[in-house]
Amino acid sequence: MKLEDFIKQHRDSFEEEGPGPGVWARLEKELPVRQKTSVVRMMAKHWWKAAILVALIANAGLLVKYANTKQDVAVVIPEMEEMELYYTSKIEQKLDELKTIPADQLGLDSTTMAELELRNETYQLLEKELVNNPGNERIRSAMVRYYQMKLDLLDRILSEQEKHTNSPSTKKDVL
Amino acid sequence: MPVTDQIVVRCRKGDARAFHELYEAYSKAMYNICLRMTGHASDAEDVLQEAFIQVFKNLDKLTSESSLTAWIKRIVVNHCLSYLRKKKVYFEEVGEADAPEETEVDETHHAMTVSAVKDAIGQLPDGYRTVLNLYIFEEYSHREIAGMLGISESTAKTQFMRAKEKVRQLVKLKTQ
Repeated sequence: MKLEDFIKQHRDSFEEEGPGPGVWARLEKELPVRQKTSVVRMMAKHWWKAAILVALIANAGLLVKYANTKQDVAVVIPEMEEMELYYTSKIEQKLDELKTIPADQLGLDSTTMAELELRNETYQLLEKELVNNPGNERIRSAMVRYYQMKLDLLDRILSEQEKHTNSPSTKKDVL
Repeated sequence: MPVTDQIVVRCRKGDARAFHELYEAYSKAMYNICLRMTGHASDAEDVLQEAFIQVFKNLDKLTSESSLTAWIKRIVVNHCLSYLRKKKVYFEEVGEADAPEETEVDETHHAMTVSAVKDAIGQLPDGYRTVLNLYIFEEYSHREIAGMLGISESTAKTQFMRAKEKVRQLVKLKTQ
């Protein structure tokens, strides 16, 4: 009988057991795995998001202080209400875009998300102050600054997400 | 475990469990290739590990027409050959005149046993063992083997004949 025929007939008997567990243990450390980004890691990576949110809340606090100081406003801005309307609608639009991004990808916790919402507790507090002080243009302009800051923050978060989505490491066909 | 295209798709997405499933499906067969080619368990594990890293990182290069098994096997074999080259194993050109005649082991006088054949293959010089393994166990053609080793097809065939003759002699000694 030819050697190759003998080997083919007894092929299974020539097979040894598989490798030891150490091989997989070492391999596991080198896997091109796309890790699920945790909220904590995202927040640590994008610390500025948290920092700006702090600024938002701090700014809102300042508005309340303004509301309590019954100072006359030197300059009246007639377009203020129109501007306010513009910003609120823009913010709503950005928030809608933000809600299409999965929460785990966004990496923002519920408290932070709540702060980004337009008609949240902070907003309601400011609205209440504004109703109590309807003629205070200083509050209005400060509130527009608050809107501007919020809009800027939303723009930055959305553009960051867009960069992340278009980066090669997140494309489906690339490991 | 049946390996489906779905596993490859999941691996490409970076799914850790899919990588493990793929490894589980192929590690034993691929380790045996490494063991036969290197002759040492610890070296076989090292080569296997390096080969799998390449497999995992290059799954996106696997075309739908190619066989996953053949593709993985080729990567593993290439890593084994690279290991042998580092060991300074040379596959020398030989003249066809040096080729021994095709012989058959006479079963009635020299009954082959698996352990005797295994031991005999283990005692072969690295070059002979490589050619014999690639042809018999991995089922590559002499032409394919020649291409892998950078030698002529006739040399690949001659080296195989010599390897086989050496095994026959060693088996004869063991079973007398």
